[in-house]
Amino acid sequence: MKLISCIIRPDRLAAVKEALFVAGVTGITITRASGHGGEKDIVTVRRGSKLLLQFHEKIKIEMACSEPFVEATIDAIVSAARTGAVGDGKIFVQQLERVVRIRTGERDNAALTPVTAGEVQEHSQHLAEKH
Amino acid sequence: MITLRTVGARLRTNWHDPEVRRHVGLLFLGKAIGLFIVLTLITRWFLPAMLGAQAAPAAAAAAPAAAAAAPALDPMATVNAINTVWVLVAAFLVFAMQVGFVLLEAGFARSRESVNILVEGIADTCICGITFWLWGFAFMFEPGNGFIGLTGFGLQGLAPTYGSTGVALLAFWVFQFAFADTCSTITSGAMIGRCGFVGDLLYSVGVTGFIYPIIGHWAWGPDGWLATMGPIPFRDFAGSTVVHTIGGAISLAGAIALGPRLGRVFKRDGGGPMPPHDLIIGAAGGLLLWFGWYGFNPGSTLSAMDTGGIGRVSFNTTMAACSAGLTTLFYSYVRTKKWDLALLTNGFLAGLVAITAPCYWVDPMGAFFIGIVGGLVVVWGIDALEYLRIDDPIGAIPVHMIGGIWGTLSLGLFAAGKYGAATPTGQDVTTVVTGLFYGGGIGVLKAQFIGSAAVTLATFVSAMALMYAVKATGTLRVSAEGELEGLDVHEHGTTAYPEYMISGSESVFITMATDEAA
Repeated sequence: MKLISCIIRPDRLAAVKEALFVAGVTGITITRASGHGGEKDIVTVRRGSKLLLQFHEKIKIEMACSEPFVEATIDAIVSAARTGAVGDGKIFVQQLERVVRIRTGERDNAALTPVTAGEVQEHSQHLAEKH
Repeated sequence: MITLRTVGARLRTNWHDPEVRRHVGLLFLGKAIGLFIVLTLITRWFLPAMLGAQAAPAAAAAAPAAAAAAPALDPMATVNAINTVWVLVAAFLVFAMQVGFVLLEAGFARSRESVNILVEGIADTCICGITFWLWGFAFMFEPGNGFIGLTGFGLQGLAPTYGSTGVALLAFWVFQFAFADTCSTITSGAMIGRCGFVGDLLYSVGVTGFIYPIIGHWAWGPDGWLATMGPIPFRDFAGSTVVHTIGGAISLAGAIALGPRLGRVFKRDGGGPMPPHDLIIGAAGGLLLWFGWYGFNPGSTLSAMDTGGIGRVSFNTTMAACSAGLTTLFYSYVRTKKWDLALLTNGFLAGLVAITAPCYWVDPMGAFFIGIVGGLVVVWGIDALEYLRIDDPIGAIPVHMIGGIWGTLSLGLFAAGKYGAATPTGQDVTTVVTGLFYGGGIGVLKAQFIGSAAVTLATFVSAMALMYAVKATGTLRVSAEGELEGLDVHEHGTTAYPEYMISGSESVFITMATDEAA
């Protein structure tokens, strides 16, 4: 089991979510984040004075995956979040020791897949074909 | 009896206390002084004044020669004063609609473009003031030919009051400036989120300086061809066509020229509107618009002396907004099983837009039904735009253009046949307006249709030309990066809620020197 977290541009969120759902990863946690990477600082203006905005708005997505899903997840994120410009973000993959589903007490791989996973994936694949 | 006796005993003991005696004495002294002052005032001032008032008519009757010798007061001076104050009060209310518009638009937009909306709303107001002073008022309200006014540029060489209204010219200007400003702010509503600021400034000059005053002259100018059309002239009491349809048709042209915002997926492609950022601000802005409408419609009598008229117009304005709001509210529930706030706000605004043209000539029942239909057409208008893949973030086109067209036509159906026109000293019922449903035949409806169709088409065609001309300069739409970053940061260098951003440099202000070095 791996914990995959990634930092992406806010405007790529819809595309990344779609790609993850199509790949079968339907359990994700999303956080608004701010951070500093290689991008240029934004200069903002307050009543005539200039002010540096050093941190950029980002989205952080976290998901726990069983081993067969890891490469597919990474590919999905990279393909959907890449624009080619500095500031596209990063993916971090960590070893995950234990997973417990609180509702049932299921452990590890049994706890990883959301109950509606099949349904959500099917719907997303259907939408992706339509586009 | 026992309690009375104890009270008496307590009073007796207290009376022996010197401190109590002093307090009671002071109290009575104060009362006596007060009584003395009141009695003096009554005998010295109030009674003589009353007696004098009673004696005055007798004296006047006794000495008619003396009364005639006093300078006669011009009765029109009082009338003009009342009407001018009425128009100014209405103008200030209409100006409050600017606040309503920026709140409504900012609330229903995403937070990343709200500063842009505020700057556009304020800048449009300033541009409108200058253009309307220099040439807009002359184009619209001064004589020329049927299509454009040609005198009074810069308000030079005009009479102290406007036409036969008795309203001071500059007061009338302020009222009409507020109207022109409303029209120009409606326009920006459908173009939120992707329209560059320089492009906005350029098309604003075109809208408030040329399209609105010239086409408005047709219906409201003293010799406009729609206003003087025979046998039945085109009537637009407060501007369903002149202000709202023109504003809505320009925003339709703008939305088509711009194209949808990046990432906007339409309903038939499995998407929906982008989420608004603050419904509280949006709904408050809508209600503030409703408040401003009480200046917009009743003020358009230009006469406070037509008391029945201003009362009826205020009533009809209220009634149409209420019935339209309820209609959209229940319609939204039938369709989605939810009581939809955004649709409700658009609904009552559509009712207000619709009643703006017929508000003087319809009776309460007419206003009620005009509102109901207004509430329905706005929902169908929103559906139609969604189907045509035209991105209108706040619904300016359905509310103002479609609501305005319906309101203009509704006069031909619902005019009650009892009301004529407002004059500076009352109402004039020598020619009443009667609609189809009140036995007046098709004539009024035909005139309304000609006026509405001519104005809508002319505005749309000229606005398309204007928008594509601005587009050719490359300033109409911002770059894709700028749009994704948000217009606020891209065009104005700040967000609407700067404190909520994690900036990392609370006190790092760059001086000009380091800026130049970088």
